[in-house]
Amino acid sequence: MNTFWSMSTNAGRKRSDGEEQGGPGEQRSSPTHPPFGKKQLPSIPKNAVPITKAASPASSTESANGTHASYGPFYLEYSLLAEFTLVIKQRLPGIYVQPSYRSTLMWFGVIFIRHGLYQDGVFKFTVYIPDNFPDGDCPRVIFDTPVFHPLVDSVSGELDVRRAFTKWRRNHNHIWQVLMYARTIFYKINTMDPLNPEAVVLYDKDFQLFKSKVVDSVKLCNSHLFDQPKIDDPFAISFSPWNPAVHEEAKDKMFAYKRLHSDPLLTTPHNQRWPEDYNKGPLVSGLSWVKPGSTQPFSKEDIPLQT
Amino acid sequence: MSWLSRLNPRGPGTRTGRHAAPSSPCTADPETCLMVFENHWRQVSGVLKPRESSVGGYADDLTAVRNHTDQMLCLLAEESPAGGDIESPAMGPILEMVVAENILDELVQWHLRRGLDPDSQLELLKLFEMLIGQSHQPLLLHSAVLQPLLSLLGACVDPQLGCPAALESSLVLLLNQVCVCMAKETAVLELIFRCGPVQQGPTNLLIFSLLVPFIHRDGSLGQQARDALLLVMATSASSHAVARHIAENSYFCPVLATGLSGLYSSLPRKIEVRGDDWHTLRREDWMGVSSLVLFMNSLEFCNAVVQVAHPLVRCQLLDYLHNGFLVPVMGPALHKSSVDEMIASTAYLDLFLRSITETSLLKTFLRFILLHRHDNDTILDTLLTRISSNSRLCMVSLSLFKTLLSLNCEDLMLQLVLRYLLPCTHVMLSQRRAVRETDLYGKSADKFLSLIPECCRITAAPSSERDDEPAFWGKVLGSPTSESPVHPRPNTPSRLALFIRQQSSGGQANPPSSGSENAPSSPRGSISSPLSPDSPMHQLQDASEGETGYLEYLRDARKGIELCSWACRDWSAPYDGENPSPNSALPPPPPPMSNPSLSMVQEHFSIMDPAQQRAAVVAAARAEWSSSDRDSGEWDVTISKNCISLTPRSKKRSLLPSSIPLQSSSAPVSTEITGAVETVSQHSHSAPHPPLYNGMGQVELTDSVDERMEVKKVKRDSDVNNSVVESGMNGSMGMCPVDYNDFHVGSAMKSSQVQVMPHLQHQTSVPSSTHECLQSESQRLSPVPALTETSTVPHESRGLESVERLIEELLERAPSEPLSGDSKYQGISIEAFHQELRELEERVRERRVLSRSSEESSREFHTAPAPSLTDEDCLPVETEQRFSETKPDSSAPGVFSPARPLGQPLAQPYTGPFITVLFNKLESMMQNSLYVNILLTGVVFQLACYPQPLLRSFLLNANMVFQPSVKSLIQVLGSVKNRIEAFAAAHEDFPAMLRKARRFLVARGKLDWSDSPMGVPNLRRSDSLIKSRKPSLGDLILRHTNSPTRARHAAQLALAHVRDGGQSLHSALFRGGAASGASGLEKQAEALRVKNAVYCAVIFSEFLKELAALAQEHAVALPFPPSQGTEE
Repeated sequence: MNTFWSMSTNAGRKRSDGEEQGGPGEQRSSPTHPPFGKKQLPSIPKNAVPITKAASPASSTESANGTHASYGPFYLEYSLLAEFTLVIKQRLPGIYVQPSYRSTLMWFGVIFIRHGLYQDGVFKFTVYIPDNFPDGDCPRVIFDTPVFHPLVDSVSGELDVRRAFTKWRRNHNHIWQVLMYARTIFYKINTMDPLNPEAVVLYDKDFQLFKSKVVDSVKLCNSHLFDQPKIDDPFAISFSPWNPAVHEEAKDKMFAYKRLHSDPLLTTPHNQRWPEDYNKGPLVSGLSWVKPGSTQPFSKEDIPLQT
Repeated sequence: MSWLSRLNPRGPGTRTGRHAAPSSPCTADPETCLMVFENHWRQVSGVLKPRESSVGGYADDLTAVRNHTDQMLCLLAEESPAGGDIESPAMGPILEMVVAENILDELVQWHLRRGLDPDSQLELLKLFEMLIGQSHQPLLLHSAVLQPLLSLLGACVDPQLGCPAALESSLVLLLNQVCVCMAKETAVLELIFRCGPVQQGPTNLLIFSLLVPFIHRDGSLGQQARDALLLVMATSASSHAVARHIAENSYFCPVLATGLSGLYSSLPRKIEVRGDDWHTLRREDWMGVSSLVLFMNSLEFCNAVVQVAHPLVRCQLLDYLHNGFLVPVMGPALHKSSVDEMIASTAYLDLFLRSITETSLLKTFLRFILLHRHDNDTILDTLLTRISSNSRLCMVSLSLFKTLLSLNCEDLMLQLVLRYLLPCTHVMLSQRRAVRETDLYGKSADKFLSLIPECCRITAAPSSERDDEPAFWGKVLGSPTSESPVHPRPNTPSRLALFIRQQSSGGQANPPSSGSENAPSSPRGSISSPLSPDSPMHQLQDASEGETGYLEYLRDARKGIELCSWACRDWSAPYDGENPSPNSALPPPPPPMSNPSLSMVQEHFSIMDPAQQRAAVVAAARAEWSSSDRDSGEWDVTISKNCISLTPRSKKRSLLPSSIPLQSSSAPVSTEITGAVETVSQHSHSAPHPPLYNGMGQVELTDSVDERMEVKKVKRDSDVNNSVVESGMNGSMGMCPVDYNDFHVGSAMKSSQVQVMPHLQHQTSVPSSTHECLQSESQRLSPVPALTETSTVPHESRGLESVERLIEELLERAPSEPLSGDSKYQGISIEAFHQELRELEERVRERRVLSRSSEESSREFHTAPAPSLTDEDCLPVETEQRFSETKPDSSAPGVFSPARPLGQPLAQPYTGPFITVLFNKLESMMQNSLYVNILLTGVVFQLACYPQPLLRSFLLNANMVFQPSVKSLIQVLGSVKNRIEAFAAAHEDFPAMLRKARRFLVARGKLDWSDSPMGVPNLRRSDSLIKSRKPSLGDLILRHTNSPTRARHAAQLALAHVRDGGQSLHSALFRGGAASGASGLEKQAEALRVKNAVYCAVIFSEFLKELAALAQEHAVALPFPPSQGTEE
C-alpha cells in the first residue's frame, strides 16, 4: 500500500515538474550544464518517508504520540528541501547537486575544479544525510571514484567531513557548507590527521610525485565520467558526450539568457517558470505603483503620454 | 471581458454572412448592371430635376424615387471592384458613375429639401446600412458616398429631441456598420473626421457623438452601439488628433463615467439572499438582476475602452471614473448608514474589482480605495472596520478583502499591513535579523500543529455510532442527500472542500467510489484544479487523516505561495526588514483615535459593561447619522435617451421622508416604532418585559444605525417573556447589548452574555417562525407606511434563512394534506400560518421543557461560561491594560470608544488595523458562525501566502520574539485553543458532535463540487438571489408550495425530520449540548453557542494545518525573477 502510494506520488510530481519546466528529459540529458535555479529542482520523492522512517504513515497516527508523530516525515522532508533551497541560493561555484529520486537523504553531486592542483577535475560524489537530520551526525560525502587526496579515503572514497563539522549543529550548519567544504579541500590542502596517509607523506616529502599522482587521479576520474551512475536512480547525475541535437539548444538558451540577465540564480528563462496554476484563469500580476525607495502608495510617476 | 474577440469576427464576418443571401440576382455582367443602373438613374433624375422648384412633391414621386433608389443601391452594393490590385482596387463602373454624378448626394438632398418624413428617413437609413454593410468596395472612402451619408445622419438627429425612437435601431445599426468599415479602412476615420467641421456643426465627429447616447442602453441596441464605439476607440488609438477631439470635444468620457453613476444608483439597495452563507455576488447571482447586468455591461465597456483607447482618452476616462463615479457615488454608497446598504455596496465593490481586468482601471479603483478620504477616513479604513461587525456585513467585507489580497498589489499591501511592519518596532531589537530567516526545520509548523486542541485529534469513532447517525447533518443543512429546492447551494467558497479530504477520517468507512470523485484539489476557487488521477488522494483511502489532509494543504500552500510570489515579483522592494530600511520608512499612521464606524465597537463588546456598550453603540450611531447627513455629495443622475444629466443631490431633497424614509430625522421614526411595539405587545400573550430593557430599546431606536433591528428585538422581547433576544439573525449587527435578566450575574459573566449573542445567528426553526410571524403581523398592524417599509426590509434578508425552515415546519405540520389546487397562491392566508406557527412553537417548547430537567440545564449553563473566563485570564497583558485604560473614557455616555486606547503613546508598536481586526475576529472564532470562520481563515491564509519576510515572519515565524505589546498569531490561536479545550471539557459529548460537524462539512464540500454550474437545478439559478422587489413572506412560502412536486419534496424532507425525533433542527443536532436555563429559547441559544463552537473546533484544526503547511512551504520557496519589462 505504502509503496504504491509513494510511487504514484512520484509519478504525479514528476509529471507536474515536467510541465513546469518544459521537459525534464532535456535537463537530465544535458550533463555539462547541470541544473540552475528552481527550474531544475527535482521533486523530493515521497518515498523517502517509508524508506527512512520505520513507522509508515498509516501506522504512525495510531501511535501513542497522537497526531504529531504523523507529521514527522513532513518535517524531515521539508528540512531537506529547505536545505536544498539554501544550496541553490548559495550559488556555490562549480558544485551541482540533485537529491535522489528514491530518497531525500541521498543527494548526487558533482564538483568542477577550475584551477589549482586538481584543475580540470570533475568529481562525482554522493551525499548521505543521516535520517535524524538535523539532529544527528554531519552528512557524509563519498566520491564515486576515490580521489587521491589527503582527506579522502583511498578505498571508500569517503571525504573526511567530520573534521570540519565535529558536531552538527542545527541552524548553524547547513548542507551547503558541507558542499563548500568538499570544494575547498581541492584548493587548500590540509594534511592534518589524514584519511589517506600516503598522500600526506608524498605531499610533504615528494611533492612532484604527489602532483603526478593527483594528475593521474584526475585523469582516472575524468575517464569514468561517462560511466553509468553508480547508483541506479532516475535523478542520478549522468554525463554523456556532446550531442548537438540534445545539448545545443539548451546551451544556447542558457547563454542567451545569461547575457540578458546577469544574475546567475535567475538564469532560468522566466517564461519557463510560471506558477503551477498560471494558465488557470486571469492572474493579475506585478501590480505595483510604488516608486522604488518610497513607501508611499502610487508614488511611481505615470508613464508620460505618448504624443 | 472578451470585447475584442467579440468584435473581431464581426468585421469580415458580417459582410460575407450578409451578402450571401441577396447576391443571387446580380450574377449578371457589370455592363448589364451599369445599364440597368443608368436606366434607373435616368428615371429618378427625371423626378428629381424638373420639380425642383415646386413645393413638396407628389406621393407617387416619392414612391417612384424609392423604388428606383432601392434598385440602384442594390446594384451598387453588389458591384465588385473592377480589377486593379488588391491594395487599391479600381472602382466598378457603377460606383464610378455614382461618384462622377454625385448621385447619392442628389438623392439625399432631394429628400432633405422636400422634408424627410420618418418613413423615408427610416428607409434611407436601412438602404445606407445595406449599402455599407454589403458593398464589395470601400465606398466610404469616396466623399460622394460619405457626404450624403453624413447629411442623412445629421438630419436624423434633432438637436433638442435626439433621435426619434422609431429610428433608433436602424440608426445604431447603420452607425455600427460604418464603424466596422472604419475599423477595416482606417482612412475612413480620417475622412470622416476631416469632413467634419464644415458640415456637422458643434461636434465634428458626428458618427461618434450619435453613438454616445446609446452607451448605457440595454439589449442589443446598446451592445451594437458599444461595439461600434469600441471600434472607433480602437481605430483612433493611433490617431492623436481624433483622440484629442474625443477627449476635448465629445462627451464620451463624461457620459461613460457618469452614466455608471446613474446605473449604479438604480442598483438594488439591498441584496436579498437566502442562505446564511451568502457573502459574494457570483455571476449567477447577478445575471438575473437587470439593473446589475446593465451596470456590469457598462463597466465591462469601460474596461474595454481603457484597454483599446488612445492614452489621452484613457486618461480622461479614468479621471472621470474617479471623479464622476467613484468619489461622488461609490464613496457615499459605501458609507450608507443602513447595514443592508453597506452590505450591498461592499458586495458591489467586490464584484467590480473582480470584473475589472485592465490594470489602469484597477489602479483607479485602488487609488480610490486607498487614498480617497470620505469623512476623514480612507475607504480602506472604513471597509476594514466592518470586518469586525457581527453580521453578513462582516462576511461581505471579508470577501472583499479576499479579492483585494488576491490582487497582490504592493500599494495595497503597503497601506494595509506592510507600512506598520516596516519600522520593525514590533520585533525585539535583537530579533530584527531574524525577520529574513526561514524556518528550516519546521519548528513553526510544529508549533502550529501543536495548537490543534487535543480534543480535535481524530480518533476512530466507536462502531456503534457509525450506524445510528443518519446523515442528519446533511438533511438539515443541505448535503447532497437532501438536495432539494429548499436548500440553497452552499455559497461559501470551496474552502469547504477542505473537508472533502477528510472523508476517510473519523473512522468512517467510505465506499471506494467516493475517493475517485474528481474533486478539485485546491480549495480556493480561482486556483482550483482537478485532482490528478494519480494523486495520492485516490490511493490513500484508508491512510491516516492527518497525512492525507496535510499533503493537500502542503500542495495548496505551495500553489498559493508560488502564485503570490510570482505576482509580487515586480514589487519595488523585498520588504525584508532591510529594504526599505526601517529607519527611512515614514512612521505609520497611529492607531485610530476615533472611528465613526460603529463596527469597531464590537471589539470592545466583550469587555465593557452593558452601559458602556450602549454608550458606544449610541455614539457610533450618532456618528453614522451625522455622516449620513453629510451624504449630500451624492449626485442625481438621470439618463434619458439622449442626455445624461447630473444634478448634485441637495441635502433638502435627501431628507424628504417620502423619498428616503430611512434618512429622515430620527424622532418620527422612533415614535412610529414605539407605536408598533405597543401594537405588538397588545397582541402578544404575555408582555411583562423589563422596563429597562424596553426603555433601552427605545433609546436605541432613536439613535441606532439600524433601527430596524431594534424594532425586531423589542417585538420579540415583548412577545416572549423569557428575554432571549433574537437580534443576531444574520443580517443584524448583533452587537446591541442585551440584558438577559437572569444572565446578569456580575462582571464575570459578561463575556458569556457576549458569547450568547452571536450564536443566535442561527435560529432554530421554531422561534424564527414566530419571529417571522411577528414580523408580518407588525407589517399588517402597523399603520405607518414608513415603518412598514423599514421593518419589512430587514426581516427579509435576515429572515430568509429561517424562512426555509419555516417552510419545512409548515409542511411538517401538514404533510399528509394534499395541496389541492385552490390552496395555491391566493388560497393560503398568512394569518392562518401565524396561528399554526404559534401552536407549533408552543408545542415544541412544552416538549422541550418536559424533556429536560431545568436543574440540569441550568447547571450546564453555569459551567458553560467557564471557557470564556479562562480566556480572559489568558489574554495578553497588554489587552488587559487596554481594558483598564479604556474604561474611564468610554464610561462617559455618548463618548465613543476607539479601537485602541486614546492615551496610547505613538511609539507603541502597532501592527495596523487590518491585523488588529483580523486577530480580534480570530480570537472570537468560537463565537463566529461557521461561514465567518471559513472566510476569515481564508483571508488569513491568503495573507500568509505573501512571501515578503516582514509579513511572513510576523504571521508564521513561531520563533520570533515580538515586543510584549504585540500580539502574535500564535498567541491568538493559543487562546482559541484554550477556549476550545475548555469547551470540550465541559461537554462530554463533544467528540460525537465534532464527528457530526466534520461529516457535515465533508458532505457540504462534496455538494459544493457536485454543484457545478451545469448541474444546478434550474430553479435555483433563475430564482436569483437578489431581487430588487421584495416578495412578502407569503410569497416566499407560497413560491414553494406553489409547485406540487416541490412541496411534496419539502414535505417529505420535513417528515424525515419528524421521524428523526421530531425535535427542532439545531437542537436535535446537538442533543446533549442544547440545554441552558429554564426555557426552551435559552436552550436554543445555548444550542447555537454549542454549534458555533463545534464548527469552530473543526475549522480551527484545519486552519492550523493550513498555517503549518504555509510555514513549511515558505521555507522551500524560491523567489521569482522580476519580469524586467520583458513581458507585455
